[in-house]
Amino acid sequence: MESMQTLIEARSLFKDFGPTRALRGVDLTISAGESVAIMGPSGSGKTTLLHCLAGIETPGAGQVLFHHVGAVVDVAALSDRRRSELRRTAFGFVFQQGLLLPELTAAENVALPLLLLGRSRADAVAEASRLLALLGIGDKAESRIGELSGGQQQRVAIARAQAAQPAVVFADEPTGALDSVTSAEVMTALLASTVGSGRALIVVTHDAGVAARCDRTLHMGDGTIAETTGAAAPRVGEAS
Amino acid sequence: MTLITLARLFARRAGGDPSTIVLPAVAFAVVTLCTTIVTGGVFAFFTFGGPNGSTYRMLALLALVLLVIPLASLGGAAARLAARRRDERLSSLRLLGASAGVVSALTVLESTAVALGGAVVGAVASLGALPLFGLLHFDGRALGAAIWPPAWVFVAVIAAVALLSAASAALGLRAVVLTPLGVRTRVVSARVKWIRAVIGLAVLIVAVAVSSSLNALAAVGGLVLVVAVLLTGFGAVLAMLGLVGPLVLRGFGRRWLRRASAPAQLIAARTVLDDAKAAWRQVGALAMVSFVGVFTGIGVAFTQATGDEDVATRLLAADIRTGVLLTLVMSFAMVACAIGVNQAAGILDRRALYVSLDRIGMPIAVMDSARRRAVLGPLLVVTIGSTVCAGLVLFPLTGYTLLLQPVGLAIIAGCIALGIGLVWGGLVATEPVLKRVVSAGVPDPA
Repeated sequence: MESMQTLIEARSLFKDFGPTRALRGVDLTISAGESVAIMGPSGSGKTTLLHCLAGIETPGAGQVLFHHVGAVVDVAALSDRRRSELRRTAFGFVFQQGLLLPELTAAENVALPLLLLGRSRADAVAEASRLLALLGIGDKAESRIGELSGGQQQRVAIARAQAAQPAVVFADEPTGALDSVTSAEVMTALLASTVGSGRALIVVTHDAGVAARCDRTLHMGDGTIAETTGAAAPRVGEAS
Repeated sequence: MTLITLARLFARRAGGDPSTIVLPAVAFAVVTLCTTIVTGGVFAFFTFGGPNGSTYRMLALLALVLLVIPLASLGGAAARLAARRRDERLSSLRLLGASAGVVSALTVLESTAVALGGAVVGAVASLGALPLFGLLHFDGRALGAAIWPPAWVFVAVIAAVALLSAASAALGLRAVVLTPLGVRTRVVSARVKWIRAVIGLAVLIVAVAVSSSLNALAAVGGLVLVVAVLLTGFGAVLAMLGLVGPLVLRGFGRRWLRRASAPAQLIAARTVLDDAKAAWRQVGALAMVSFVGVFTGIGVAFTQATGDEDVATRLLAADIRTGVLLTLVMSFAMVACAIGVNQAAGILDRRALYVSLDRIGMPIAVMDSARRRAVLGPLLVVTIGSTVCAGLVLFPLTGYTLLLQPVGLAIIAGCIALGIGLVWGGLVATEPVLKRVVSAGVPDPA
């Protein structure tokens, strides 16, 4: 782990929603190729932390530094448009329920991030089909989303998340709507397509089984990282 | 907990996006306004005597038939959006102890209340609009007080709008109860069968055969029978268009899909292909209106260009043109409203999806462009297609009129362009809804 490069640093993150303080000075460092699970009870701030790290929310105070292509970007200081561009080019996302466009085929859904980056449709769909094949659902490339099972839909979402070859994939309860067997299969696919390819994976989950498969687990409580567990040692600056 | 207490709670918890109340209410108001004016017009034409009296009455009924579909489409769209507001609050009310029956009753009550409010506003607006329409000249004189329908018409229109909303809300609830997920993510795309084309062709042949025997019918049954047959024929052709239209749109959708290179183009083409019938329902009402508009526009312009008709005929021709323009503008206005309301409902339905697309970095402009293309593409196909068809049917006259009376045709073309602009405006009006939905995000559990 020591040889890994720092990818994302959170420094003293605070976030309020009205009178509610969701984050209370969170410090965190995540390396390239690392998998980190964020657990905690509802309202503990885990999704807010994920959103701040991904540039979906801007923290009230503190910094989110993203180390990428030899430069360091303060995500929180970027404009809406630049954060949207960053999410399009450098981040991937997997949501609890796929949230794929039902009108499009599986391959077209996966190709969408590449089309947004200006790739030709033929290239984008070919790459999408390749990614779907790697995830074991190559035969579903032309299927509509409604024709796929929950597990297959999540694989499509995983393929979409890695289409633009992001440095980090953020997953919000990616197995939350699946049974335990499918959940394990999807987690295997998610880890293989992220950490297995040198990408970082940050996953919010309620499932201890999912967290156990990550390098580290951050246990959130009352807006802070109350405890860090797992194979990897706590990073410098993190609460433990 | 009483129904009244729950109703208050229901109203208080509405919060969220005000568009979900304002849009259907405005749409109901427009429906009421248009229905009252059109009914007033029909009443006025039925007071006309003279040699052209029966022609005016027939034309008034024709305009009424043409306007029924956009009116029904707008009313239905408004009712669906009004009913949709229930979704997010249903679970809360159930948790508070309300039974499914009570919640359903509240939903119907609320949708009806929104419709009633909008209808009353529309009726009041018509009190101001009717005198303006009374200034219009037909048969050489202003419509004046003749355009005022009896008082019971106002009451009947308001009641009909409220009933339509209540029925639509009740049916909508039933659909969601039956297939809550099927509504959200369509499992398979809606099929458009080729048998529609065959039935459509048969209807067209019968309509042409009947219309060619009008003289014989007039000899047998007089004008009443001719009018009845004409109106039935019109309805049949409208139904035929409803059968064939989705097929045509599906053909164009395939063509757009083949050519799509940008995300917005791809999503728009797939949206049309996914449910060509829904795409047709949004704009189909304009097919007949545009066709009739251009058809009669050319006929009237030709009459004026030749200049060899008597005064009464020229007066009738000018009146027909005025009527056509009014029908065109009103139809487009109603379709624009219906599209705005449908789009707002669609955005709210797909709230989580739009938020997720924003999170993966899709610019809102791309989402908006996809929505616009999915409506404007079919709209242009329908209006331009109908215009070209009408021009082709009257081909020799079209060329002749274009040379001798271009202004008359330009006015009709201008009205259609204005109508397309109105629909575009309806789409633009829903952009803030999308922006609000995306910026608000979806509630997260943690």
